[in-house]
Amino acid sequence: MSRRYRQWVKEYQNQAWSLARYLLKDAQEAEDAVQDAFVKLWNNQDKIDPERIRPWLMKVTRNGCLDRLRRRRENVEFNEGHMAGEASGPMQDVAANELGGWLKRAIEGLKEPYRSLVVLRDVQQHSYEEVAGMLELSLSQVKVYLHRARKELREQLAEVRP
Amino acid sequence: MNKYDESWEQQINALLDGELDKADADELKTAATDDRELARAIVEAYQLQQLMDEIPVEWAPASLGKCLRAIPREQRSSSRIKLLQPRWVTAFAAVPLVIIAVSMMQTDTPSDAEIVKAKQELAIAFAYLDKAGAVTGRRIESTVSNTMVDAVTGSVNKAIKLQNENSKEKEV
Repeated sequence: MSRRYRQWVKEYQNQAWSLARYLLKDAQEAEDAVQDAFVKLWNNQDKIDPERIRPWLMKVTRNGCLDRLRRRRENVEFNEGHMAGEASGPMQDVAANELGGWLKRAIEGLKEPYRSLVVLRDVQQHSYEEVAGMLELSLSQVKVYLHRARKELREQLAEVRP
Repeated sequence: MNKYDESWEQQINALLDGELDKADADELKTAATDDRELARAIVEAYQLQQLMDEIPVEWAPASLGKCLRAIPREQRSSSRIKLLQPRWVTAFAAVPLVIIAVSMMQTDTPSDAEIVKAKQELAIAFAYLDKAGAVTGRRIESTVSNTMVDAVTGSVNKAIKLQNENSKEKEV
């Protein structure tokens, strides 16, 4: 059982960490959130379908991050209003080699659930079905939200592209 | 916005996700040749996807991996510590007491033969009590009646005596 757990740590720690980093924008808090998620995984491993470990873990990681954001009283909204935050404001004359950094900040500036969608689908490249399971959304919701998030990022990219 | 609209937006996303069949993809490309805005949207979408692909994998810090691997050991020891909490210690201490109490209750439970014997003894005791009650009752009855007879005869005698004395005084 412990060996199986170690395998999960090896396979999923980077994905969970990356998601937590994008959501929390704070390395120490991201570490804490991922640890909490893995403690829950250890304590509930017998109750989870072995085929669904990764979506379960990512869902728990994300929920833990959102709880932390709520506690921080940050403006995390699930409505479909304004999607981009301050971090993703227009930046002129961004050099090509800085576009990667800009994109990361732009993703961090998206509101939920768009940010999680982009990270899980476009950055970590999980399947639509997995993303739907992680975020507890329907497949069509995932597609519609993702399409909006990508459009938002594309429009920002058009503004900053040299 | 020319011909470029929301339906094209969905097509672009499907194209990026590799979910667009060849006929639809060809239709989109043909449309893009006549629509500069659509063409620009497709190019930007590809550029965005390329940038996404170039985002390096974020490796979790080594300290995190170490903490995660330590979780099973910590959880096991914390469950042991939980067993040493006062309520559990009390519960464990109570177990032998409960066993002793139950065993004592079991030894105090009489057998059928003992119950029959007790009933017989109880019947004898009640019979004795009945007899004793009857004797005591007769004694009480005789005592009460004697007292009442004495009280009546005494007062009658006193009255007669007083009457005789009065008659003698009258004669004198």
